[in-house]
Amino acid sequence: MNAFVDPLGASPARLEARDKLSGSARYLDDLSRPGMLHAAIAQSPHAHARILSCDVSQAAALPGVIAIVTGADIPARRVGGMVKDETMLAVGKVRYMGEPVAAVAARDAETARLAAQLIAVEYEVLPHVLDPEAALAPGAPILHEDQAQYVRTMEGGGSGNLVWQAVLAEGDAEAAFAACDVVVEGIYETPAQYHGYMEPNGVLAEPEANGRVLVIASCQSVHHVQQRVADELGIPMSQVRAQVPKVGGGFGGKHASNIHSICAWLARATGRPVKLALSRTLDMEIQRSRHPARIRLRTGAKRDGTIVARHAEILLDGGAYADESPNVMTFAMLMVRGPYRIPHVRIEGRVAYTNKLRAGSFRGFGNPQASFAGESQIDELAAKLGMDPVELRLKNAVQQGDRWIGGHTLTTCRLSDCLAAVRDAQAAAPKLPAPRHGRRRGIGFASLTHISGLMGTAASVHMRADGTIALNTGCVDIGQGSDTVMTQICASLLQVPIGQVAYAAQDSDLSPYNWKTAGSRSTYMTGRAVVGATEQVREKILDHAAEMMECAKADLELRPGGRVGIAGVPGREVGFREVAMRSLFKSGGPIMGFHGLVYDGERFDPKRALMQRLAFDNLGVYTFGAQCVEAELDEVTGKVEVLRMFSAHDVGRAINPVSCEGQIQGGIVQGLGYALTEELVWDDDGRLANPSFADYKLPGIKDVPRQIVPILFEEPEPTHPVGAKGVGEISMVGTAPAIANAVAQAGGPRLRRIPMTPERVLDALEP
Amino acid sequence: MLDRIALTLSVNGEPREIRVAPMTTLLEALRTELALTGAKRGCNQGVCGACTVLLDGRPVRGCLTLAVAVGEREVTTVEGLAPPGQLGRVQEALEQVGAVQCGFCTPGIVLALEGLLRETPHPDEDALREALSGNLCRCSGYVKILEGARRAVEAAS
Amino acid sequence: MQAEGAPTAMHYAEPETLAEALSALSAEGARCLAGGQSLVAMMNAGLLAPPVLVSLRRVPGLDAVEPREDGGLRLGAMARHFEVARLQPRSGGAEIVVEAARRIGHPAIRNQGTIGGSIAHADPAADYPTAITCAEAVVQVAGPQGARAIPAADFFHGYYETACAPDEIVIGIEVPPGPPGARAHYEKLMIVDGDFAVVSVAVMLAMERGACSFVRLAIGAVAATPLRLADAEAALLGTALDDATLARAGALLAEAADPVDDMRGSAAFRRKLIPRLLRRAVAEARAKAEAAHA
Repeated sequence: MNAFVDPLGASPARLEARDKLSGSARYLDDLSRPGMLHAAIAQSPHAHARILSCDVSQAAALPGVIAIVTGADIPARRVGGMVKDETMLAVGKVRYMGEPVAAVAARDAETARLAAQLIAVEYEVLPHVLDPEAALAPGAPILHEDQAQYVRTMEGGGSGNLVWQAVLAEGDAEAAFAACDVVVEGIYETPAQYHGYMEPNGVLAEPEANGRVLVIASCQSVHHVQQRVADELGIPMSQVRAQVPKVGGGFGGKHASNIHSICAWLARATGRPVKLALSRTLDMEIQRSRHPARIRLRTGAKRDGTIVARHAEILLDGGAYADESPNVMTFAMLMVRGPYRIPHVRIEGRVAYTNKLRAGSFRGFGNPQASFAGESQIDELAAKLGMDPVELRLKNAVQQGDRWIGGHTLTTCRLSDCLAAVRDAQAAAPKLPAPRHGRRRGIGFASLTHISGLMGTAASVHMRADGTIALNTGCVDIGQGSDTVMTQICASLLQVPIGQVAYAAQDSDLSPYNWKTAGSRSTYMTGRAVVGATEQVREKILDHAAEMMECAKADLELRPGGRVGIAGVPGREVGFREVAMRSLFKSGGPIMGFHGLVYDGERFDPKRALMQRLAFDNLGVYTFGAQCVEAELDEVTGKVEVLRMFSAHDVGRAINPVSCEGQIQGGIVQGLGYALTEELVWDDDGRLANPSFADYKLPGIKDVPRQIVPILFEEPEPTHPVGAKGVGEISMVGTAPAIANAVAQAGGPRLRRIPMTPERVLDALEP
Repeated sequence: MLDRIALTLSVNGEPREIRVAPMTTLLEALRTELALTGAKRGCNQGVCGACTVLLDGRPVRGCLTLAVAVGEREVTTVEGLAPPGQLGRVQEALEQVGAVQCGFCTPGIVLALEGLLRETPHPDEDALREALSGNLCRCSGYVKILEGARRAVEAAS
Repeated sequence: MQAEGAPTAMHYAEPETLAEALSALSAEGARCLAGGQSLVAMMNAGLLAPPVLVSLRRVPGLDAVEPREDGGLRLGAMARHFEVARLQPRSGGAEIVVEAARRIGHPAIRNQGTIGGSIAHADPAADYPTAITCAEAVVQVAGPQGARAIPAADFFHGYYETACAPDEIVIGIEVPPGPPGARAHYEKLMIVDGDFAVVSVAVMLAMERGACSFVRLAIGAVAATPLRLADAEAALLGTALDDATLARAGALLAEAADPVDDMRGSAAFRRKLIPRLLRRAVAEARAKAEAAHA
């Protein structure tokens, strides 16, 4: 027998890697059912219009069309996040171009699409507004006239096109600015970024026994999908079952989607399975984007580089529906101070409705916007002070035990180490070949902060008759590797090879509750649940073994490979199989463990800070990192190329270091796209102008640095039983400002707007 | 009514008879007529590379190739690279280095590299990057994919 | 909102002779299918639904990829980009076409795409139209009335419009070598690798005793067709290609350009790029030409 290798920290291959490599892994569009119908969506041709009538007769007459649903057919109930403002199909009004107004189920996809085009909707076109400042100006066309009547989970100060507004303050910023030696100020603008998961959203809904409906969705939480579909259809959650196949990336873009409810409605109406796998264009037109942001930021410091005050005004463009806007805005506010000991801070946040695609959650969740402003401005401050930007960061960096704005304690914080590490790694690395003629080089840095936590989750662990283990959680692996990580944790605690732990696919009927794959929370939150449930199973195994071996439980130890023995006494052992058989057939009953928890860390401290209408009051543990970018600016074309990056992260204990690295490298490249090429663009009519990969520019392998060097600091997080923190989002957040800082350091322009396209760079360089 | 054309495609070494409309792409034909769903529809515009298959050993876009125009050329999909339960050299290498994340781009990546190695057994770093240049990945930042590609080259040497 | 994949009663023909192909193409709305890398993408996007599709893949004699004795190239319409890209050019004319072929899309696109398809599609941001304009290649076209040869300068009529009539087929491209000693360079700015050009510049030139003895320029993606300007070329001829002269030629070209705003850049940006990329492209071509002399 091979020596047992503890799977914790060992980076075993992903459980599903072979399926994905061989093409046998099943994603949503790979699924089919006998008699399955195909759905298509009829979309609004206007950015803002009243629906006067909708005639489906021509579409319904098309051979092969089985069912049609319009806004007139669905329950009159609005759903959403903190503001319930959205219906699965437009009712009464359309608020963005492309918005679904009706859907068709037909025997084949072509017929469905043709029928959707035959749906005749009469509109009264209304003036539209695309810019959030304009939307908040007096006289702007109002998107949601009934906003005051909408159900909301708390008061957000919204009215007119204002969705939400909040204030967060500590100290006395205005007074402090007056005493600063140096003040820098700027407006920072970030674009609508598209998630660009390689697999578009999709859903297959089918009738189930007992009048229920099964919704199989490419999603980030079966529980969330179940809840949203039940809410939208106006039926109890017990009537909806949700499952998830393999998911081809999510990044925050595969939470609730109207298409889940649309197909569930059609499946119930027709009694047949209905599938809708979105085309790339449709996905881009009707799902979500990252919030475009305009952030006015001011930072003041003493001459010695002590940062004293920061003031931020954050305006987010929420698009036509609130979705997670209040939460994204709140998180941006909580992150814009940055990981610095700044005693006097005032932050005002607003989010506005506009006649565009809804903005929602996306890896970083408001933090990339806040960090672009904050980390760019740190470099501007350093320049004005004549200080080295890394020294300025180190001088002001938060430390373990410090409080975040609002009062949360930083339980682990290796920010200073991360900053020094990337600086030193870059300095020690072999020099890159000299730039070719007409190119300039620069080095840029950024500090990174994120959180890891939020909400509820659970896990259950069962022992099978042969002593192998079944692990069940609601945590959906969207490509980040959580299936493997959860399995590693469970297997490690039971000292069995990961092959002896079966990790179940998520099913709302069977999986313990989990909020979502979001908030860099899977390893931190669901990981804790797995530890709790596995420990219960371990205790029960030891209880049985003590009785079987007629000895004290305290004398027993687990031995690698699924055995129990007496500590210090080699030889006499019982195996998990014997324990399992005893439990199932003789004594004690099946061995199982269950552990659920909700993130219950510190709340904000109202004595410490002014906090009005924040959408969260606790978050999670804080994670830190640092980015170093070596970039080259082409003076002829304005094109920026990133040559090499170093990225250090305070990950807690790395359960699967290779997966941590994958998250870091992938997040960096998503951040690179955000910084340089990616932007959803709407024309003046409100039409999304680039809804395809031909026109929306994702970075390919030749657009990314040849080297992205991850550096992991493994300081165990004390609030996690195996010391882990999340790493899913943090590398995304500081990439854009690090690149912008490198461009400025190269002698290029200081760009306060991303993406830094060749055109914008060249215009700034030579107006 | 649509013309439906009877065709025999040679797929993974076997003749396969299908009937498709003229506009049917090879990608769609493989996925819906032959239940070979390894090739993915990521953009249907030839940009993302998730639909990559080999035609006579060379990587092509399944979504930009009409099934009727494939003719006698041999089609290789990811399912055809190794017997069930086994992996080919490129697949093994990508698994070993942890290059598989969401996996949606993975079959296309595998075939892009397989196509390169069939033509150029000892590619240098630039050739590897060039071979992968038409395959988008949103998860990995390409770092571990490139590492896997290097390992596949080493393993073959 | 595009009608993606809208159904259509499409017929597919796979003629085995040029005569049969021309006959099939005489149907109303019929289109040729070469490599399909633009046509199928447009069909998938619902932008195009030709009632009849005439595949050229079995028509004999369209797949030549041959160096000519004079150093030029003879390319059949069905010559795939990868086949052109792997040639070792032996003339300035061949060099500009081969360099352009190497910059088209990605390997999988180059494995299927054809030169005939690319130039018949006539996207001014594509690489071949600019390159063959610089090379003064001749496009051979066959039609019901027989074959004709159209100089590249006369071939491109506008966005996606050419001198090739709907019932005609591009059958080949003859690339002349250009003068002895001429070298070429193809410069292209892309937002992301493998994309169409924001602006591209094709330069072929020769140097004699430090002066430019021959030059041809074509600029891509700045007008409805590849831009050539006799005045700009005349401004360079006989000079040492100094910065001031290049700036003058660049300014003439920028003035003559008629670019559009699109996702890759504004018209103003494209105008601004022309002299800048021209300077870089000329420097590269000149370095090659002088290295060859030395």
